[in-house]
Amino acid sequence: MTDILSGISQEIISGIALGSIYALIALGFTMIYKATEVVNFAQGDLMMVGAYVNFFFVSTLLSNSGEPSTWTFLVALVCSIIFSVLFGFFLDFIINRPLKDQPIFSVIMATLSLAIIMRALVAMIAGPIALMPLSPFGDGSITFGTIVISILDLFIISSAIILVIIFYFIFHYTKWGIAMQATSEDPIAAQLMGIPIKKIYALVWIFSALVATLSGILLAPRIALLDTSMGFLGLKAFPAAVLGGFGSIPGAIVGGVILGVIETISLGTLSFHFEWIKEINDIIAWFVLIAVLMVKPDGLFGIEKVKKV
Amino acid sequence: MNKIIGVLIVIGLFGSGCVKRAPSPGITDSEILIGNVQDLSGPMKELGAIIPNGSNMYFKYINDQGGVNGRNIKMLIEDHQYNPQKAVAATKKLIEKDQVFCMFQVIGTSPCEAIRPILAETGTPLIAPATNSGTMSDLTKQAGDLIFHTDTGYDRQAEILVDYIMGKNSDAKIGLVYQDDDYGQNVLLGISRVESKYGITVQKESYQRGAVDFKGQTMNLLKGGLTDVIIAGIVREPVVIMKTAEAMNFKPNFYGTGPTIDARVGKMAGSAGEGFTATYWAYMWNSDEAGPKLYRELCEKYDIPQPYIGLYHYYGFATAMLLVEGLKRAGKNPTRNSLVKGLESFDNWESDTFPPITYSRNDHAGVDKVKLVQMQNGEQVVISDWLE
Amino acid sequence: MKDRYDHENLYWIPILILFVFLLPVFLKGVSFSYKYYLFVLNLAGIYIILNVGLDLLSGFTGLVSLGHAAFLAVGAYTSAIMVDQLGVPFSLSLILSPIIVGLFGFIIGFPALRISGMYLGLTTMGFGFIVKRIIISFREWTQGSAGLEVSSPILFGYTIKSDWDNYYLIYTFVIIAIIIGRRIANSKIGRSLMAIRDSEQAAEASGINLSQYKMLAFFISGIYAGLAGVLFAHTSSFISTDHFDILLSIYFIIMVLVGGASSIYGAVLGTLFIVLLDNLFVPLIEDQIQLLFNTQAGDIQSLIFGLIMFLFIIFQPMGLYGMWLKMRIYWKLFPFNPRQRFT
Repeated sequence: MTDILSGISQEIISGIALGSIYALIALGFTMIYKATEVVNFAQGDLMMVGAYVNFFFVSTLLSNSGEPSTWTFLVALVCSIIFSVLFGFFLDFIINRPLKDQPIFSVIMATLSLAIIMRALVAMIAGPIALMPLSPFGDGSITFGTIVISILDLFIISSAIILVIIFYFIFHYTKWGIAMQATSEDPIAAQLMGIPIKKIYALVWIFSALVATLSGILLAPRIALLDTSMGFLGLKAFPAAVLGGFGSIPGAIVGGVILGVIETISLGTLSFHFEWIKEINDIIAWFVLIAVLMVKPDGLFGIEKVKKV
Repeated sequence: MNKIIGVLIVIGLFGSGCVKRAPSPGITDSEILIGNVQDLSGPMKELGAIIPNGSNMYFKYINDQGGVNGRNIKMLIEDHQYNPQKAVAATKKLIEKDQVFCMFQVIGTSPCEAIRPILAETGTPLIAPATNSGTMSDLTKQAGDLIFHTDTGYDRQAEILVDYIMGKNSDAKIGLVYQDDDYGQNVLLGISRVESKYGITVQKESYQRGAVDFKGQTMNLLKGGLTDVIIAGIVREPVVIMKTAEAMNFKPNFYGTGPTIDARVGKMAGSAGEGFTATYWAYMWNSDEAGPKLYRELCEKYDIPQPYIGLYHYYGFATAMLLVEGLKRAGKNPTRNSLVKGLESFDNWESDTFPPITYSRNDHAGVDKVKLVQMQNGEQVVISDWLE
Repeated sequence: MKDRYDHENLYWIPILILFVFLLPVFLKGVSFSYKYYLFVLNLAGIYIILNVGLDLLSGFTGLVSLGHAAFLAVGAYTSAIMVDQLGVPFSLSLILSPIIVGLFGFIIGFPALRISGMYLGLTTMGFGFIVKRIIISFREWTQGSAGLEVSSPILFGYTIKSDWDNYYLIYTFVIIAIIIGRRIANSKIGRSLMAIRDSEQAAEASGINLSQYKMLAFFISGIYAGLAGVLFAHTSSFISTDHFDILLSIYFIIMVLVGGASSIYGAVLGTLFIVLLDNLFVPLIEDQIQLLFNTQAGDIQSLIFGLIMFLFIIFQPMGLYGMWLKMRIYWKLFPFNPRQRFT
């Protein structure tokens, strides 16, 4: 019994780390959705771009200095952040400006096409040779009793928590944040109240790009080889965001973590004891999504929207 | 009216792709055209870039010397993204539109299986399909008489590994992590043979192609108390599995089949990969036989970029050498038939890249033995002779 | 029927049908690679059938389906298993499989009754993944991820093997599918579906039973996809789950969108456009681009797709069909066209 318990505890911890990454991606989605009602299908690929860009910075710095150090990673991180801010701004520019009068569906399809373009461009520029991202924390890990957790995972979890707190604070206690909420509720009224909604949209996209880049940087060492298909992991974050309620920031985190834990436990203990579970491991997230939506069509923490006829 | 415009646009798009060409199965006075379908933008796009590069390097070398019986070899490559349907479309394009002489090095078991009907229908040979699946040399399958396999099948590799493990430790508890597709299926074939041979059960864990997280499977292997684990994966899987196992303090002997022979497995796994043993069916590219030597000379001569040089590139080189030998034996005026006959005349053909290969009317299997290569101190060392 | 189609000119339809049937002969005379072109056209035909159904579901009813490749997969595997393992004759499978997939549409449509908008898109996406995985798990019948060999269609004692034969088989059904599609679109059903898309509350208030029509939409699109699946399986002779992924579902939506959602002809044109572009046009410019950048085919294709889709969304949200409607109106009014641009 203790065997199973310790196994599950280990899986829960790993699951929280995995879930934190889902949470970060879901955070990005949710922010954009909250402010603009747009579902950003390119979020996963934004993460992928962030990971590649960071790798690029790290390798350029390494080719100059030789040995990797904390300094190298920090500089690369800062450069990646600057890039993501610019990139977010750029994305807002090409999506929101031309399409401001179009129905939401068109914008969503636009994000989809952007995702395809980004994936193709990165693949073309990066070349076919697989790239091995370096972890700034090496392979070290800490052991609590029978539970092993890698330093990277610890860092992932803490970053997610910190970022969520920061963004929650921004959204609820700063002028810009409240302006964002106002814009998402009613863009026209917001405009009438003097809120520069174009700037708000740009800000939201920048935030999302930032979060996506950070999640990409954190995820890369975990998967050993960079590949443009990383973006598909972003798709898994959808159920996470919906689980927590699209449009709710704490919901995104809760959703992400729950999903990560469910997935890891199912891959581990459940698969060991029940053969058939092996068959559905990679789609558990989607089962959860559909089940939740059937019961609460607006997500766990979502708010029902009342639309006028 | 608008329909007419629409139709015109469609015809225009259509016509843009149409090409009028006299029918000649890839042979002109100056050129031999061969077709290759690789994964250029899918999960294995790296192989798709490196392997054909190795072949083209050898073709260039041959062409620089005047070609085969005065004809230069030109290879056309299409992309199938590891999707068998796309592979069929690409092969059709190569055979029917570009009129290639033969197919070569098509990568992936499912794609190769999927194109059997069109190979049979057009009588096009497929030389050296880039897959270790034993099904490739099965003469009872459609177009089997047109396919010439070079690699030792996964099933054989797995069998040989288990023989080796049981030979070292008759109480070994063996586990297998396999990719849940045609690759895995072929491995399972070999495993089931040895299970009945030794009366043991191998604990099996699977993963979907492209998976990145193996905590679950590794945990289960740990629970099984295994002494030896065979990883039937590609490159990422053995690395992540071994690292995960190390973090869990799980230290069985790790083995790998097929593509895990890639040197990067050891490099990326670092200390976790120490002692990892993989099966290999050719001479190591950095060894001293004549074939590898020529390989390295050509790499220098043609300025091959550093990241390309290695196992897969060498594989492209070696299979190209095989094809060229077959073309030479096809005679002054090669036809598809004479190519098949030429290849079937291989009798212990010593290329110094592969061990001696024999083909015949009833045997299209190529190599059926392996050497074991182990990671020692971050370097790959051959630790056995040819095992079968 | 006359007054339903009053605004259109129907006389060219027989001519078009004749053209479709004579096209292979024309191609054979023009090019020695005609078999390959027929192959491409066959693929387009299959996708056209599917997309007519998808259009009715997503374009007309507004029920976004991002998992339609799953329908195709179910149709293909169902028919393959029925014909090869259960001994059902192909002609029977042509009728049974679409019905089975239509029923399958009910299963997927059920959540649609409560879930709407983008959530529904996500749900259908989820179904896409789930179905694909479940197909793999029925290893005994489907050979898992390894793929399944499928026999050629046998109709009235005649085995249909070559691309030439496949073409006639497929396009007969394409024409039937389009005609039926248009009948549905221009009927009470079609109008009800569009009413649902535009405003559910208003539709309900007008007496339209939402649940009934939504399920009907899923059922119909399932039938179309099922038919496409049968044809796909037996003319491809090898199917594997790799093909029916999320990217394919997205491609289907792109085809419908580019052609102009809520127009049957639009779906046809969009499909033809994308498939021909993908298989014939892109390889042409590929070589030029490969000289410029050291890159590979698949990426260029994706890039061009993404770009085209993006440009269409920005400049032509009404799609190809919308473009022609505009051109037609332009010519009708010529030379009295108003100054401002048509939007």
